[in-house]
Amino acid sequence: MKQSTPKKYGIVIDGSRCIDCKACMIACKVENDVPEGMWRNWIRPLQNVSGKQKSEFQPGQCMQCDDPSCVAACPVGATYKQADGLVIIDPKKCIGCGNCVSACPYGARYRNPAKNIADKCDFCQHRLKRGEEPACVITCPTKSRIFGDLNDPTSEVSRLVSEGKLVRVIAPHINTRPNIYYREGTRLLDWAVTPTLPGNIHMPAEFWE
Amino acid sequence: MSASSKPTISRRSFIKLSGAAAAAAAVGGPSRVLHALVSGNEEGAGVAAREMFSACDMCFNKCGLIARVEDGVIKKLDPNPHSLKSRGMLCARGNAGIKQLYDPDRLKYPLLRKGGRGEGKWHRLTWDQALDHAAEQMQRIGETYTRCGFLFMAGTDMQSTFVHRFAEAYGSYNVISHESNCLLSRNRAFLDTFGVVPTPDVLHSKYIIMPGANRFEALVTPDSMDLMTAMQGGCKLVVLDPRFTKTAALADEWYAIKPGTDMAFFLAIAQVLISENLYDEKFVAEKINGLDEFKAHVAQYTPEWAEKETEIPARDIRRMARELAAAAPAAMIYPGRRSSDYTDSTQIRRSFAIVNALLGNWDREGGLIVPKKIKTGSIYHDAPFYEDNPEDRVDAGRAQMMFDEEGSFKHTRDAVIEGRPYPIKGWLTYKTNPMQTGANRNKTIQMIDHLDFMMSVDIVMSDTAWMADLVLPAPSYLERKDPISAFLASSSCSGVITRDPIVPAMFESRPVFWIVKELSKRLDLTESFDFTIDDFRKAQLEKLPEVVTALKNEGVYNITGPSYGIHEGKPFKTKSKKIELFNSRYVENGVDPMPVYHPPQPVPRDHFRMVVGRNAFITQSASTNNSLLWELQNENSLWIHPKPASNLGINHGDRVEVVSPAGRGRLKARVTEETRPDTVYMDTGFGVISKGLSNIFGKGACIAEILEDHADSVSGNMAMHETFIRVRRV
Repeated sequence: MKQSTPKKYGIVIDGSRCIDCKACMIACKVENDVPEGMWRNWIRPLQNVSGKQKSEFQPGQCMQCDDPSCVAACPVGATYKQADGLVIIDPKKCIGCGNCVSACPYGARYRNPAKNIADKCDFCQHRLKRGEEPACVITCPTKSRIFGDLNDPTSEVSRLVSEGKLVRVIAPHINTRPNIYYREGTRLLDWAVTPTLPGNIHMPAEFWE
Repeated sequence: MSASSKPTISRRSFIKLSGAAAAAAAVGGPSRVLHALVSGNEEGAGVAAREMFSACDMCFNKCGLIARVEDGVIKKLDPNPHSLKSRGMLCARGNAGIKQLYDPDRLKYPLLRKGGRGEGKWHRLTWDQALDHAAEQMQRIGETYTRCGFLFMAGTDMQSTFVHRFAEAYGSYNVISHESNCLLSRNRAFLDTFGVVPTPDVLHSKYIIMPGANRFEALVTPDSMDLMTAMQGGCKLVVLDPRFTKTAALADEWYAIKPGTDMAFFLAIAQVLISENLYDEKFVAEKINGLDEFKAHVAQYTPEWAEKETEIPARDIRRMARELAAAAPAAMIYPGRRSSDYTDSTQIRRSFAIVNALLGNWDREGGLIVPKKIKTGSIYHDAPFYEDNPEDRVDAGRAQMMFDEEGSFKHTRDAVIEGRPYPIKGWLTYKTNPMQTGANRNKTIQMIDHLDFMMSVDIVMSDTAWMADLVLPAPSYLERKDPISAFLASSSCSGVITRDPIVPAMFESRPVFWIVKELSKRLDLTESFDFTIDDFRKAQLEKLPEVVTALKNEGVYNITGPSYGIHEGKPFKTKSKKIELFNSRYVENGVDPMPVYHPPQPVPRDHFRMVVGRNAFITQSASTNNSLLWELQNENSLWIHPKPASNLGINHGDRVEVVSPAGRGRLKARVTEETRPDTVYMDTGFGVISKGLSNIFGKGACIAEILEDHADSVSGNMAMHETFIRVRRV
């Protein structure tokens, strides 16, 4: 794809707006033909009956990381990072080994049992090409997700990032530099896990914190 | 209207009067071709794609959508950003709409029962055989038992108007809808206070008390989205609910109010507003009738008294009354929707309406508003008169102030079973499922046992269709041409929407309009159906060219402009021409003119009160078998508090049996602090008897079997929170 300025897609998620209605999950499932029992995105609940703290619902999906451990874990180069920041899986190259699934600190990948290949969110790349936002973004009743080009200083996501009141979910010990940001004050930050990387994969030093 | 008895002439005169362009647009409908993907080497390249506007029908909200069609197959439903009512969103159910269309469980051709009722043995008929049979039965029942011996029940649907028209032409006044299992007591209460049922302007409100309503799960557009927008802007939300719903979870304050005591809470709020002079005196003096009587009436209802009833601390009640008054008029008691809860539910909702009146939020930003609605035209008809018909509806007189045009499912069902005051022997249901939504399923079965003939028009074999003698397959909303529908929503988002077929009707499914039209031919009632849907739409839009244009270009017509401050100086449509705290018509009908508190029936020892509710991916019973939504929830469970669960030896996930005087059911226990120790809950739409619902057959329990069928004494609305149940581990 020819582009005058390189794009870098990102999403800012405001968990305080999410009502856990699952519209994003069903929209994604239909848009991307995700098989039964599998999901490309999710909503994590933090419910608090005591009422001392407000409950919170936190949507999420592949974070299109700048240092993606999944890419490093792929033995055949089927998954790669595109110029527009998207982490993509080439279905023709994928051998379905599952290395990338356990290499993701966010549990964002699954193995499609029908196609026997890895699968995950790609911010609805095919919709982006049509000039449409990802299915999860536009369908959301309370507009919890804001999508845009982080390289475009006039975009809403850039404005929010520059305001600085955002946080990222970072796994202990590693930082894959994710491109999904959450609103400051979000409490669900500890769910990312240290990925299981195959022994022969060598990540750059700055990857390990 | 003089032309009403001659539909042919009136239609001809319309064509002459209206512009050809407008007529063509109305017929052509909202379609647009956006892309034809021809370039590129990706998957899907070269596929002809087309996008069309429509309106969702996964619940009653009619949210605007855009359907993407590739090679004749609907691939995706997206929100229509032009639809102000739906605030450019589509919920989980809306997104799952394609599985209502592409569902292997769909009814495919007419079916006639060949075994016993509910046995599930059918044989296939041609449409001619099916329609001849139905017409014969209708003719026979009409002649034997009068035309009122046939009952019609149509759910919320843009074509239900044709079922009502058919009932009128056929000559029966026994027409009911789903509403008497839902919101009639709320409508009764607000109508009898303000002379009209208002809409809450949630978007601009600063303080909302939401009693019982669960807007973040039981989605109502735009209220659900507006509530979040308002809260992000600083609006305070207080939720009163025995359950920790997601609305409660996201509220600023949640009180697990003792079920059935909401009126005590609001009478105490009113008592504080009055005793502390916190109401708008000018507003009250100008617009309210009966303040002196009401002042004297509520003096007894102090917050300290209400604390004992509601289990909400008196100091919080007093504080909330003051906070409401400080935020007024941009403050409200949210009127809610489903109010089929207690035998005095109209009076409970009257107490909500009265507090709103005292807050002076009428016709004000952030209060209760009455937005403008588009008045569409129609094709009028003169229904024949049947001399032998009885004088009134079969359920007449069973409630103090029933809505004549709605009736009551509960009372009609009782009347059918009793055969009084006259027998009803036939029943047509369209897209409504009282077997799942009408409390006391065994009584519905008993009612059906009293019928000679029952026919159901539906998309799938619902539990109600399963009990019918003749089942007729209808298309989904994505395959249908519907009439124009004007809807009332909140501030600046009422409007008009319609539907055209996105894809042709599948299998042998036929829309209910076609069915009643075919039946009218066989019953010699053609004069009432001498038109097509296109003719009907033209008549609806005859004087509304701007609507035609908007529907074509944007898939929706939005009424913009101010929605408040538009009724200033106009009299209220009540007897006193004012807002009625004291209702003199109630006195005439033997109803308390002001809400008098009666404590709810106490929960007997070793029993629980069962309450009804919703989540965001269930529309009563209509969506639980949808294969996409089924992935979110494939059975229901019994919410029970850990304390009583432990006393009963019930662990999370155990199978339990729930027993009430009405029926029983078995399901898994969900042991949770998200409900009060005296209250249990289960979702609607499971425990089905229809084997035609392959995803959910055999899953969970049916709440309609367990609930007893009490009724609101004023409106005849079903009262579904008056059932006490026992639970045991099995």
